[in-house]
Amino acid sequence: MAATTHVAKARLATLAQLTARLFDNVYNPTGVRTGNKVLRQRLIGPAVSTYYPDWYGKEPRILRKISRAFPELELVNVANEERIDELERRKRRGKGAPKKGEGKRAQLGKKKK
Amino acid sequence: MHARILRDLRNRTAVAAFEVQRQAYRHITRNEQLPARIRHQAQLALNAFPHQTRPGNVKNRCLETGRGRGVFRDFRLCRYQFRLKALRGELPGVMKSTW
Repeated sequence: MAATTHVAKARLATLAQLTARLFDNVYNPTGVRTGNKVLRQRLIGPAVSTYYPDWYGKEPRILRKISRAFPELELVNVANEERIDELERRKRRGKGAPKKGEGKRAQLGKKKK
Repeated sequence: MHARILRDLRNRTAVAAFEVQRQAYRHITRNEQLPARIRHQAQLALNAFPHQTRPGNVKNRCLETGRGRGVFRDFRLCRYQFRLKALRGELPGVMKSTW
């Protein structure tokens, strides 16, 4: 009885192997992980790199290019000018950045001594 | 422009540039038919890639404000900017519902 089941098992295995070959399937009876799952995955690069519009992060460069090509227009980087103005205003109110050695960290160090 | 958008842009270019290489190493590490030593080396190489190149590092941000939460994938806008634009009629096909 045992012998017959053994033979049947072996024959079933060869049958499975043959069917796999005929129908272009992979014969992997022990379920070994081959990592083919990784190869089957689609590449996300194209989708990931086109999320933002093309000009995002390039505005200063584009503005520089245009102003260099047409100097007679006298274009200014409005955002940058605003930033500089704001910094000046803050400085006048005494809210500017501290000098080196006068920040919070540096004061802490001095107190310890 | 929101600085975090710039950071995310850098991450995205890095991910796209290193993706094929990373997937190759990933395939080696996941393949049980290869010797353990090679698989381990591939895993180490994978770990040695800069953090920017990891796909999990990419975050969908609002195109208007750079907000990282509550961003609609289809419109690439955060919920408030979506509402503003929809009410202004700048999003084709989007209507305020009434019943």
